[in-house]
Amino acid sequence: MTDFVLEARDVSYSYSQKQPRPSLDGVSLGIRRGARTAILGANGAGKSTLFYHLNGVYRPKSGTVLYEGEPLDYGKPALRTLRSEVCVVVQNPDEQIFSSTVEEDIAFGLLNAGMERDEIERRIVESLFLVGMEGYRTRPSTQLSYGQRKRIAFAGALALRPKVLILDEPTAGLDPQMSLEVIEMVDQLVESGTSVVISTHDVDLAYTWAEDIHVIRGGRLEYSGSPDGFFSDSARAFSCGLKRPTPSVVDASLRPGSAMRPRTNAQLLASLAPEGAAFGKVTVVPVSDGFDASAASVPEGTPIGICGSRTRRAFASGGLRVDHAFNAVDGCMADAVRGRDSVLFCDEEMVGFARRAGRAVEAFGKGAVM
Amino acid sequence: MSEETQMDTLAYSSRMLGWAPLGKFAFACALIIVNLSTSSMLVPLVTLPIGLILMAYSTNFRIPFFIGLALAEAVLIIVLFAGMMSISGTSGNVVWEADILWIHARMTDDSFNYAWLVLLRSLASIAVMISFATSTPIPHLSQAFRQVRMPVEITEIVVLIYRYGFLLLERMEVMWSAASCRMGFNGAKRSISTVASIAVGIFISSSDMADKAQTALECRNYQGYFPVYNQPPKMGVKWLAVCVFAFVAIYLFGLRTEGMVDMYAILSGVLR
Repeated sequence: MTDFVLEARDVSYSYSQKQPRPSLDGVSLGIRRGARTAILGANGAGKSTLFYHLNGVYRPKSGTVLYEGEPLDYGKPALRTLRSEVCVVVQNPDEQIFSSTVEEDIAFGLLNAGMERDEIERRIVESLFLVGMEGYRTRPSTQLSYGQRKRIAFAGALALRPKVLILDEPTAGLDPQMSLEVIEMVDQLVESGTSVVISTHDVDLAYTWAEDIHVIRGGRLEYSGSPDGFFSDSARAFSCGLKRPTPSVVDASLRPGSAMRPRTNAQLLASLAPEGAAFGKVTVVPVSDGFDASAASVPEGTPIGICGSRTRRAFASGGLRVDHAFNAVDGCMADAVRGRDSVLFCDEEMVGFARRAGRAVEAFGKGAVM
Repeated sequence: MSEETQMDTLAYSSRMLGWAPLGKFAFACALIIVNLSTSSMLVPLVTLPIGLILMAYSTNFRIPFFIGLALAEAVLIIVLFAGMMSISGTSGNVVWEADILWIHARMTDDSFNYAWLVLLRSLASIAVMISFATSTPIPHLSQAFRQVRMPVEITEIVVLIYRYGFLLLERMEVMWSAASCRMGFNGAKRSISTVASIAVGIFISSSDMADKAQTALECRNYQGYFPVYNQPPKMGVKWLAVCVFAFVAIYLFGLRTEGMVDMYAILSGVLR
């Protein structure tokens, strides 16, 4: 089986024949299974058009879209299966919330997929928990804030337990905390085995988060590969309507000629740390169902970070103080680089993610944090 | 928050939300129809308190200021209308007559009584309708109509209009504020032109919204109809019995009390 869960081969598409230039022009790219993929491009570059090709809403004028190595079948039953497994969350939640109450809207996709009522009930509860909206189940969708509507749009997609989740500008219009929460949620999905694709203008986010990036400019694919490969060339980034990410720019000006660029704040601090600096240690505590935050003991003054939906729920009911409620993995790593020990409580599936983040900090060769 | 949003909020927080929407609808219709079925002045005096009690129970005595204002406005209009009816008498004993500008006003005992009947019927009907409107969100009613075999196309259009109506209202409010910031309402002529521009903008937005909704529907596996997870409670035999009983009892009461109350005689006696 191919390593790509989704693939576009030479895909071209125009909305009308009068268009001077096609919206997608011979785009070929692959979405790796279980990877974090970001599609970058300026406004009107063709990102959303590409997304709608990936779940069969648009049919290419030429070229092929493959799912699990097979060309898409545009018949009704096949599309029904495809759209249950490849979910798109559009940028504006108002375009995707159709039902009058939260639970009805989450059930919308599940009922369309022909699921049984008991299963639908389970998934409504599960998806509301994942997005932290358990208390809003019967609320009318018209009475939610933009951020809440965005969460409900995510919940509607998560309820389907998709193999591939495609998020169009997931952090657009959200406040910084909510953006970090969304990214944490997405990370948790990836760690649980979902392949996630996001489109964004936010180069700092793409650079920090993505393993693969695809850059589209004027409907053409400009770049496919690692974020470093693209952002090392300022001129190319600018020509695509983008800019170089902040950690990379700061590091390049302070450490010109360095082969490895930091992608997170903690990595940036590690890259700039003096040789032989005394790093602190990050203790990762896995949190499973039934974890009692009030019973956990952490030395006085030691920073505490939390990460993951179960952990958030455990800490929401009281108990320990929280120093890093958002972006906690990077926050704890940054503390360690500054020489402070910290404790990171995270959902079991996020432990691997936290350890990888620690290894990435240690890769700068200044000290160990785990 | 617009008045429509306030009404929606009120309906979703109503203590009568869990009652069968069709039952409530049938009960409200029964009261309104029986209100008009006899000429007894006592019938609206019975239905008015029923409507007020239901309204109070539904809203828990919390009617938002703007909705209260709108209700007061409606009542004022009805009072003025009834006043005009009372001075447009053509039959009965003339009790008061005058020339006001070019209008010859003539109040008879019949027109006076008829104006009171219209006033009380209107107030009672408003109270009953408000009790229904403040306890039944539109989607509940729409889904309930599916149970009586209303074409699914109509019920789905109602739900979509309801859903997108709020979004368009929100957008209109933003455009309105933006136009105000840019002095778009500076003078009558400019205001008219601004309102027209906003209307055109909203119309174009609605078509753009429809396009995007179509794509999003396909993304969410739309199969050609809107499935419903939680069906509203059905109108059972109890509801039917309550409606029939209320209608028959009030109707018979009305037949027996026709002509029993003469508002002119009562009020003239009080004034004397």
